[in-house]
Amino acid sequence: MSEERGHWYLVTGLIIGAALGVAYAWFISPVQYVDTSPASLREDFKEQYRALVASAYMLSSDLVRAKARLDQLKDPDINQTIAMQAQRSLAEERPEAERHALGMLAMALSQEALPEATVLNQGSSSSKVGAGPNGLSLTDSPDLSTPGSSITAIPTPSSTPEALYTLQDIHLICDQGQNQPMIQVQVENASLEPVPGVEVFVNWPGGEENFFTGLKPELGLGFADFAMIPSITYTIRLEQSVQQVPGLAAKECELAEVERYWGFWRLVFVQK
Amino acid sequence: MARWIRFLITVALGVAGGLYYGWVINPVDYLDMTPDSLRADYQADYVLMVAEAYRLEGDLGTAVHRLAMLGDTPPAESVAEATLYAVQASYGQADLLLIQQLADDLQTWNPDLETFFP
Repeated sequence: MSEERGHWYLVTGLIIGAALGVAYAWFISPVQYVDTSPASLREDFKEQYRALVASAYMLSSDLVRAKARLDQLKDPDINQTIAMQAQRSLAEERPEAERHALGMLAMALSQEALPEATVLNQGSSSSKVGAGPNGLSLTDSPDLSTPGSSITAIPTPSSTPEALYTLQDIHLICDQGQNQPMIQVQVENASLEPVPGVEVFVNWPGGEENFFTGLKPELGLGFADFAMIPSITYTIRLEQSVQQVPGLAAKECELAEVERYWGFWRLVFVQK
Repeated sequence: MARWIRFLITVALGVAGGLYYGWVINPVDYLDMTPDSLRADYQADYVLMVAEAYRLEGDLGTAVHRLAMLGDTPPAESVAEATLYAVQASYGQADLLLIQQLADDLQTWNPDLETFFP
């Protein structure tokens, strides 16, 4: 009788044992990892890490180092991630220093045109490459111990010195797909090329805010937008520009006197 | 050999195989880690970034909050460990000065004052 039952009970035992072993290894006593890299961080910690990289970048203006640090996150589209985080920081009203740092880093990454020689020649630093995490090539920052030395911020290449922008075009666009009144700003240089990194100031009775062009590279390097509140009238001004555009209020569009929806203002500034 | 003994042996073999599979061949993915699990060099660079941000912003409370991400180790101790690593790894003089400045200011930081005078 027992021989007729065969050896299936052994297979059953094996399966039961394997299941118990896997359950223990995965749930009860999983592998504990140490010595991990920033790529393995939880998403909220990654966000804080990126913000910290941006803050550090604001001090040194060393884009090479900032990119080396961001590379540790193994993000295939880090430029977009930084740009989106910069946008979110504005919407979530994160601390001003953090918003500004993320904005500047996003713009710098979108251009990636900062010459390294400019960084290395600042102050009295040598060109020695110091060892960094995982063999990163981290250049020295300027020697802060030298009296009178200072860290010179690299001029934002997108904004040419003494750039003055004038309003070239303003009109209300009616797009049924738009369900939020917006102000869209497009900034172009004298050659009509989009210019990222231009600071846009918007103020209204009792409030003000600023944002930068180029934080949504998928919409254009010179593009920036701002969500309006229908009951408020706004004034727009660009950095390095005395011209103000007042009286911007949400306006409705009408479709055959039946359907009404919000239009959005589109302002185009061009460098003189 | 009694059937139940053979059964137990196969169960034990199964458990061994399951453990090997779960720990070696296909372990739990190491995602969603916290900064305290970072390798020493990454932790040192993290402290350097905190020092750089502190130099720019001048907010020691924020620096302490950022250092707290490195785990239960007191902030001053995290900075001390990072300093040690930075010296051994031949960090640049300017970087060492930034970390040292942070370490010095942490010596006099009073968390109670931070509460009353944010």
